[in-house]
Amino acid sequence: MVTFGNLSQSAAFITGLSAMFLLLTGLMRNDLRFIEAGRRALAGLAVFATMAAFALSWLFMTDNFQVEYVASYSDRALPLFYKATSFWAGQKGSLLFWAWVLSLYIALVTWNTRKETTRKNTPYIYLILAGIVSFFFLLLITVSSPFELLQFMPKDGKGLNPMLQNPGMIFHPPTLFLGYIGFTIPFAYALAALISGRLDPDWLKKTRRWNILSWIFLTIGIILGGQWAYVELGWGGFWAWDPVENASFIPWLISTAFIHTSIIQERRNIMKVWNMSLIVLTFLACIFGTYLVRSGILQSVHDFGATGLGGYFLVFMIVAALGSFLLIAESYSELKTNHSLESLLSRESTFLFNNVILLAIAFSTLFGTMFPLISEMVTGKKLTVGEPFFNMVNTPLFLLLLAITGLCPLISWRKASINNLKHNFLLPFGLALIGGAVLFTFGIRELYPLLAFTLSLFVSATILLEFIGGARARKKLTGEGLLLAFPKVIWKMRRRYGGYIVHFGIVLMVVGITGSTTFKLEKEVTLQRGQSMTIGDYTLQYNDFKSFQDRNRTVYAATLGVTKNGKPAGDITTERRYYINAKQPTTEVSLRISPKEDLYLTMPMIGKNNEITIKAAVNPLLVWGWVGGVFMVLGGIMAIIPAGSRRQTA
Amino acid sequence: MNIFRIFIFSLLLSGVAITAYALNRSEVEKNLICYACPGEALNIDRCSGGNQMRAEIDRRLALGEDKQTILNFFVQQFGEDILTVPPQRGFNLVAYAAPFVALLIGLVIAGMLIWKWGAAGRSGTGAGEHDAESEALYRKIEDQVEDELKKLEDD
Repeated sequence: MVTFGNLSQSAAFITGLSAMFLLLTGLMRNDLRFIEAGRRALAGLAVFATMAAFALSWLFMTDNFQVEYVASYSDRALPLFYKATSFWAGQKGSLLFWAWVLSLYIALVTWNTRKETTRKNTPYIYLILAGIVSFFFLLLITVSSPFELLQFMPKDGKGLNPMLQNPGMIFHPPTLFLGYIGFTIPFAYALAALISGRLDPDWLKKTRRWNILSWIFLTIGIILGGQWAYVELGWGGFWAWDPVENASFIPWLISTAFIHTSIIQERRNIMKVWNMSLIVLTFLACIFGTYLVRSGILQSVHDFGATGLGGYFLVFMIVAALGSFLLIAESYSELKTNHSLESLLSRESTFLFNNVILLAIAFSTLFGTMFPLISEMVTGKKLTVGEPFFNMVNTPLFLLLLAITGLCPLISWRKASINNLKHNFLLPFGLALIGGAVLFTFGIRELYPLLAFTLSLFVSATILLEFIGGARARKKLTGEGLLLAFPKVIWKMRRRYGGYIVHFGIVLMVVGITGSTTFKLEKEVTLQRGQSMTIGDYTLQYNDFKSFQDRNRTVYAATLGVTKNGKPAGDITTERRYYINAKQPTTEVSLRISPKEDLYLTMPMIGKNNEITIKAAVNPLLVWGWVGGVFMVLGGIMAIIPAGSRRQTA
Repeated sequence: MNIFRIFIFSLLLSGVAITAYALNRSEVEKNLICYACPGEALNIDRCSGGNQMRAEIDRRLALGEDKQTILNFFVQQFGEDILTVPPQRGFNLVAYAAPFVALLIGLVIAGMLIWKWGAAGRSGTGAGEHDAESEALYRKIEDQVEDELKKLEDD
């Protein structure tokens, strides 16, 4: 199977090269037969890539520890479920996973465009995709093969990092990868448009679903990562502004900006240079994330250390950036249109400001992430910047973004009059102001939380008014009842309302993040059996302690009786686990979730006489952050559901 | 105007209780990096080196020291790179200012562009929204021609 895997990888690489050769020949000779052959070769590459992926999965399932990668990330005691997911637990496997998914995406593109090979830009799309996927397979067969063999056959593997033995880790990396990889497709379309001179919004329309789908995957990946950190790492938070977390957030921000301004280009055929630049930046940011994880230049809980791949990715990024921006510069005169707006106050202008803020957040995140390197270069000292720094710098920018998220729907496309604005603005602004005053009255006096909640109310009110306005308009038009018109108008205009649902998801996320970070209660207490501690409305009494063997781990579990406001609220068990082959024990988080707050418990230490150290936290409103994430994903899905086929008219 | 009155009234009604926070260890931890695990914030880290730092924080909190005094102690011991928030002086100021300078530049450029596009719109010299449609139509015809030419070639 090892030979099969190696051969499959090599075959995929050779097929990629062949596709490039065929496509180039076809383009130079202007011969469609070669282009068609190149397209088929590119589609065929997916078969070899799938074979390589199958081979690696098989090696994990059959415990073939002579394969260095399998021995490093699996062991005999590992549950089958996690054996399958160990595929992407390390650097080499995740690289193969990347190349494999990219090959599948490319196969989909070649299928979707099978009748479009005569178009000027299609061969260039194939050529760019072939170049990118070949680069990944080149790395796999030359520098980073997951099929490398050890000189001996170990009795057992080293096992999977216990922290990765969590359901969140099954989906977090692949969804993140699906997002990163997905942006390759719009990037290829954009570059092909530049090379072929087909600069109309066609490439945007064709890649709209790819963009949003990749954005959805990236969103899911980031949220699942946060959820995993929250339930697995045991420090009570969900986002630590770690360099690799930031590396996933930067493309998310840029792609969000791109999704907004691509709407303007679709509607008005303006901002062509801007959109081209944004999709190039999104792709580069995705590769930058990969570079960061594999280069070892910054320390992160996620990185693979210095893998020897950093240089390759750096060169790839430089070539991609130079090539793309040179192409944009070359086509500048064709891309440049005489932009016009009928009014300074229009949805287009608010979109532009929203882009500026999103990019400013992306820049500040990138700058903070790279600051240790920058400071080392300038001052010789490698300073690290962490969570408090990012919160300090980014919070005002986020609040600004939230404000503009509320303002956007109030301002019409093309032209908004002051009277129109006043009419739309007054009610949500008034509601938000009253809400803010009430919050102030109830003791929320810190500026940022007060602003965050008030702006959340403002944005929610504008979204609600949008929904009501749409339903009313439909009612007027069709005579349907409001209850029927409401879902119908949402479904009919799902792209628009999907966007608003995403915005509402962001509002909920802001509520969750603000509540849980600002009003968080934390306490760490050592308890003897029978003793109790109090945190917020909760009293926790240490009642029981036991240890037992569970599959590949020894578990030490403490049970605490919970009372809330003096009333019994059941038991809660928190664990400390010692995995076979793991150097350090892990703490298993115990959670009690309610709409108002989470009770969060971990057990960082166990004493000789079974006295336990309990780290307890009460995280207010956090659950709404996760609910918000679900809304964001659902809104995104809604926005890409294709419109039903229209009845043909004679 | 009524809304404004309600707002002022609410402010007057509200008490003066300002949310007070007792300093706890995690607030100090957030600002420090574990000396044994470079790059990892102390509030996330759980290694034995981190435990020593946490014990020291607890000891100093019990003595009634404030956050800054505790942070200063660790800076004296390990240098400034033990902090997660670079001190606001010298070159570090760039880290604090750069995002806002970038935002400001971006906003000014965006403002200028909107002004320019607005002026073009008022004078009627800009491209209309029909451009996208007409260009797309042109491309559609171009594609049809290309397809038909290909069919002819195949025949």
